Amino acid sequence: MKTVDISITIGGPQGGGIDTSSNMISRAFAYSGYNVFGVREYHSNIKGRHSYTHMRVKKERPRSLRYPLDFLVALDPDTIFEHIEDVGKGTRIIYDNSIEKSDLSQARMIMKDTSDRIRHELEHSGEPMTVSGTINLMKKMGGIPIPVPFADIVQKAISGGVPSRYYNTLGAALTLAISGVDVKFLEESIRFVFSSKEQVVEENVSVVKAAYDYCQDNNFRTDNLEEIKRTPRYLLTGNDGGAIGKIMGGLRFQTYYPITPASDESTIIEEHEDLKWISSENAKLAKSGIAVVQTEDEISAIAMASGAAITGTRSATATSGPGFSLMAEAISFAGIDEIPIVITLYQRGGPSTGLPTRNGQSDLLFALNTGHGEFPRMVISSGDVEECIYDSMNALNYAQRYQLPVIHLIDKNLANTSDFIPEIDARKVKVPYVARIVHSPEWRRYSLNTDTGISEFGVFGKDIFWMTGDEHDELGHVTEDSELRDRMMVKRFRKLEVAASEIPMSEKAILYGPENADVTFVTWGSQKGPILDVMDILAKEGKKCNLLYLKMFQPFPSEFVKDILSKSKMVIDVESNMLGQAANVIRLNTGIEITRRILKYNGRHMTEDEILEASRTIMGTNQEKIEVVLKHGA
Amino acid sequence: MVHNFKTDLTVDWCPGCGDFGIVTSITQALTELNLDPKGVVAVSGIGCSGKTPHYLNIAGAHTLHGRSIPYATGVKLSNPKLKVIVTGGDGDMLSIGAGHFVAEGRRNSGLTIMVYDNEVYGLTKGQAAPTMSFGEQTKSLTKANIFGKLNPIALALSAGYSMVARGFSFDMKQLKEIIKTAIMHEGSTVIDILQPCPTYNNINTMEWYKQRVYKLEDDKSWNPIVSVEDDAKTAGDKFANAMTKALEWGDKIPTGIFYQNKTIPPFTKRLAKNVPNYLEVTPAEQRIATADGYTVVDPKETFADKIIS
Repeated sequence: MKTVDISITIGGPQGGGIDTSSNMISRAFAYSGYNVFGVREYHSNIKGRHSYTHMRVKKERPRSLRYPLDFLVALDPDTIFEHIEDVGKGTRIIYDNSIEKSDLSQARMIMKDTSDRIRHELEHSGEPMTVSGTINLMKKMGGIPIPVPFADIVQKAISGGVPSRYYNTLGAALTLAISGVDVKFLEESIRFVFSSKEQVVEENVSVVKAAYDYCQDNNFRTDNLEEIKRTPRYLLTGNDGGAIGKIMGGLRFQTYYPITPASDESTIIEEHEDLKWISSENAKLAKSGIAVVQTEDEISAIAMASGAAITGTRSATATSGPGFSLMAEAISFAGIDEIPIVITLYQRGGPSTGLPTRNGQSDLLFALNTGHGEFPRMVISSGDVEECIYDSMNALNYAQRYQLPVIHLIDKNLANTSDFIPEIDARKVKVPYVARIVHSPEWRRYSLNTDTGISEFGVFGKDIFWMTGDEHDELGHVTEDSELRDRMMVKRFRKLEVAASEIPMSEKAILYGPENADVTFVTWGSQKGPILDVMDILAKEGKKCNLLYLKMFQPFPSEFVKDILSKSKMVIDVESNMLGQAANVIRLNTGIEITRRILKYNGRHMTEDEILEASRTIMGTNQEKIEVVLKHGA
Repeated sequence: MVHNFKTDLTVDWCPGCGDFGIVTSITQALTELNLDPKGVVAVSGIGCSGKTPHYLNIAGAHTLHGRSIPYATGVKLSNPKLKVIVTGGDGDMLSIGAGHFVAEGRRNSGLTIMVYDNEVYGLTKGQAAPTMSFGEQTKSLTKANIFGKLNPIALALSAGYSMVARGFSFDMKQLKEIIKTAIMHEGSTVIDILQPCPTYNNINTMEWYKQRVYKLEDDKSWNPIVSVEDDAKTAGDKFANAMTKALEWGDKIPTGIFYQNKTIPPFTKRLAKNVPNYLEVTPAEQRIATADGYTVVDPKETFADKIIS
């Protein structure tokens, strides 16, 4: 039997139920025993503009997405126009046959420059500027059009109402029917998705049955999909991962100001603020919840979370580039005052408002340098949903142990990735128990009597001490004494050396693949999955590759990185930014310059096929300095 | 032994500064309220006013310019059992920190906010603050002030503060009583404290104020308190009276309590409706780990809604 590996994009207008539709598809495949990996793409818009979910279905957990698609499911003309590039040999294009005459000029929600590009492409191919013209072009590219009378099918199935409201269910149903997913699994997903509304469930189930019947009546070729024994799994996004990790890591106070793609994390924490404790013994103590506060701006968000931290509460905030910029001064304050605080920085395309709903990894250098003056901080990064969970727990631990701001980077692509996680291990990361105690009068909050630079923590409510943004003495009072200044600076930076020595390498950088390889990829964040998939493909072709995957940028594992890179024959840096920021950090810390780079900064996710092709280009040339900029993405 | 609420640090404010009277009023208020010194926290911003926490023998945070309110709110909301006082200058509170000043009115977290109002930025050599009148030219200004004057009392009332008052740094008896009422008030209070800056404000001097201030409470019919017994009309009238008094400025300047509404729930109680046992076991007091050092949270139970079974 052929290995199951299905690539699906379902698209439609924002607010048109694309999320619901992709949720139905994911769940139905999940109930059939498969794993689904998906990424959501959307405009900065509430209703009308093009949005889509790109998914991949496999028996094993997929780690990446790929083009060309196996299914392009279009709930509107825009989806046909926008996704020409995604079509290849064998792509089945499911669409409403009533939109065939739709003209590109009527698709007003397509951004002008995108529309111009599509027009140019259609002109070039000699096709008319309509959906059917585009379908013709797709046919030439190997696509298989499946026109379906959407309105007819829905109208016959429902008791009344607007048929287009059911197009998302219909799109999902047609995809699943043709993929060979048993109708019972889609019914089950529908019952879950619309759980509380019986009437809605019935109408949607009726549409689903009509879609399956339609496929049968019209003798559509359907795939054989072997049913696998299903196991319980968590369906989580990167935002979920960040929230779950924080909750498990002891977070009890979270602040935020609304911003895409960060605020989902805070909403998820708020939804789960009523905690369920692990054992009945603890349940007696389980009088707790998490306070989530929406603030007036991001300055307030970081300041309020810092205020909470000094009462001994594990506190954090979550934001994206523009909000993070506003937090700079307070991060500097947390540095000098040694406040344990976590800032989860969901990166999106910058600068300024940039691409507010699109991917980017352009805030690394900023995260390393935010705030005036010199102070210790930690900067960590996650590359998949599971890492989001455990890194968030670690971030809170590091903040507490080393008493400093911890910046946790998660890119938008990962924030909006949905993935199936077999297990959340409550014992994978320890949560050190710290009692909030009353110290003796001799205790000094910023005691210099320490080998580690870590003074014993005390909290407002238990001890009397002072904090100030000025340089300060051991009690926390203002000083401008030249000698004390030096000692305090040294004490604070000593903590970073201690962090570097205490934290295991597996939390800082990981080498995937064989130690000796022809090609060493270097990356961070959400490209981890696609590169691992590319390495598997290349391995089958006899190319030995490995991946130096970076997780911690401050303190930076310089020796480890230097050791690997100095042995590598060819190094390729892969990042979602223009300047190769991680490569710059490597050069700064090790002196090694990486001259071969695969970069993408158009805001769209990197896919397996793109990285594979770019890698082949780089491997196939003698050029030592080469930069391949990836362009794909609707 | 009675706790000394004053530290023995050398105070480096200018001789004749109004700040001295404020610190004395605060320490007297804390002493008379007989509060646990570890149960009170002082938070400030930047400037002369920002130094206040260092002179108070309670836990204190001297934070960023304009940001004292959010830092203080974080302290209060993570440990609602603490009394939190906030000190800041007119520029700190009403210019760079104006957004937070307004937002806190909507929250009503339970902060005692003292605005050190001397109409100038002292520590940076006397620039005009938002409370300086239009056309006024204090001695270090090269030109007369071309900004209008912001009214802190009217702004605080509009923002929704449940208690709004004005004190005068040279009337420590009245100021102390206002501070005491504010600390015991459940919601947030703004106290606009008139004070001279003897170094940079040669117009609004101690004498200038002394000739103009009068006490609202001297009028026996003045009743600024809104309680549950008041109907909507009475409550509305009390707010309108406060607003009318807020607009008085010039030859006569009212001091005292303009408004105290005891019916507006503080933010802590609003949060308690959503967060289980928030007031009983505050975020600052919660257990986060088991005795053997692992999370107390059961992922299977807590995130059951995320499981596909």
